[in-house]
Amino acid sequence: MIEVKKLTKRYSDGTTALQNVSFKLDKKITSVIGRNGAGKTTLIRILSSQLAPTSGKAFVEGIDVVEEPNAVRKIAVSIPQEAKPIDYLTPFDAVRLYLSARGIGLHASRKEAGDALKKVGLWEARNKVAYELSGGMKRKVFVAMAIAADAEVVFLDEPTTGLDPFSRVEVWAAIKAIKGQVILTTHYMEEAQALSDEVLMIESGKTLAQGSVKQLLKPFSGLIRVESQNKRHRSYRIGGTWVSYVKKADVNSFVEKGDIIKPVTLDDLFIKRGVNLES
Amino acid sequence: MNLKFIAAHSWLTGAGSLKSTWMYMISSMGFPLSLLFIVGVLSDGALLPYALVGGLVSVVATNGITTMADLGMFKFEYMYKDLIVTSKASPIDYMLGVMLADLFWSLPAIAIYFILDIAFGILTPYAFVMSILVSVLVLLSTASLGFVLTSLVKHQRFVWAITGMLSLAMMVFPPTFYPYKYLPHSVLLILSISPTTPAAVLMQGFFGLAPTLWYMLYILIGETILLFLIAKYLTVWRER
Repeated sequence: MIEVKKLTKRYSDGTTALQNVSFKLDKKITSVIGRNGAGKTTLIRILSSQLAPTSGKAFVEGIDVVEEPNAVRKIAVSIPQEAKPIDYLTPFDAVRLYLSARGIGLHASRKEAGDALKKVGLWEARNKVAYELSGGMKRKVFVAMAIAADAEVVFLDEPTTGLDPFSRVEVWAAIKAIKGQVILTTHYMEEAQALSDEVLMIESGKTLAQGSVKQLLKPFSGLIRVESQNKRHRSYRIGGTWVSYVKKADVNSFVEKGDIIKPVTLDDLFIKRGVNLES
Repeated sequence: MNLKFIAAHSWLTGAGSLKSTWMYMISSMGFPLSLLFIVGVLSDGALLPYALVGGLVSVVATNGITTMADLGMFKFEYMYKDLIVTSKASPIDYMLGVMLADLFWSLPAIAIYFILDIAFGILTPYAFVMSILVSVLVLLSTASLGFVLTSLVKHQRFVWAITGMLSLAMMVFPPTFYPYKYLPHSVLLILSISPTTPAAVLMQGFFGLAPTLWYMLYILIGETILLFLIAKYLTVWRER
């Protein structure tokens, strides 16, 4: 379980990345969602003991991240945003190298590394050097590390950024194979919806909402999203587009030529709160 | 201390990487071998032993400085450092793993220099043992310098620039490829700020090319310890 109490992070340049944030996370997979610069990576880096908070407390499985960072490091895995496997290492060696950092010798880690690579579908490519792997395969090497480490808590910072839709679905399947509690950050709302038991919404260093996808989308029950080029009654502006939420029964009378109809997603939580996701 | 990580990192990224990055290893020998050739030709062979002895220092120092490039890649490109922070590896484990990897990686080049020393009849058992000691100190000091500088830069492109400048400053100006006696004592002391200067002076003494200035060993050991401690201080697992 993750518990955060009044956590604040202010960088030396004056930027406040987190402001008095408090929450508890105890579900199997939690997605921390928010636009770029919302404070997601700062949060993950503090929880995984890589960054000291300015004030407040954070606990991972009851261990104080600030006071006992080494204890947290033993039970947690953190995969950084945009991490890449070392070019000249194979997936097999990359996973074994990571396991050695967790205290398992190269010889002893052969089975764990092999099993993890099988789970993420990289067994066939285990002896290819990293620079021969596709983007999706490279990301799966890190998920294999997390699986092989068998850690109690796994932090994944934007695990699918930059991947094509097919590769993303493959990485999602690999993430689901992780045994421990998973906290992942993403700005892909469909990723959060596909993977998460719980979602934590962050904007400008503050938590906006927390709950299951179903709970969070409850206010939109029975509504359809309509995107127009023109301003409509009670619509929200996103770039050059105006978004309205319309009852399914009223869609036909509401829609004009050129409008686009879409199902409601987690994006709409931000839109209704006036957060411009494109800014 | 996480010996399993130190061994695994040094083996996989050092010796193991030789297979796929052997061209870099050969290119690291290009500069000292070129200078060896030029010094040999220009001095009609008279200074060849100095260039051979200095070439060994140069190869080890080049690979030590190259640590900075590796560290830059680990930090900025692969995010490897951030990855292993959340594990049982400590900053010291990381430093020793990277340094040992460079030692493994340098071994073929070091072996070539010893073969050349034997071929030119200047290698004695005493010189061999002492040059191993000096090589280890040079590697530790230059690699530590690499850690210090990497912790201060914000982007990989600065790493390449600094590596190039350091190679020049540490290989050309110090008496690595010419007799240290050519320099006034005061200049020699000033140049001793670079670990390659005391290393080259000592090597010339150990190989019987000039009197051994033992105080240079203390300078080299002192610089190695100081640079290692600064590197340890700056290699932080948790940023503020």
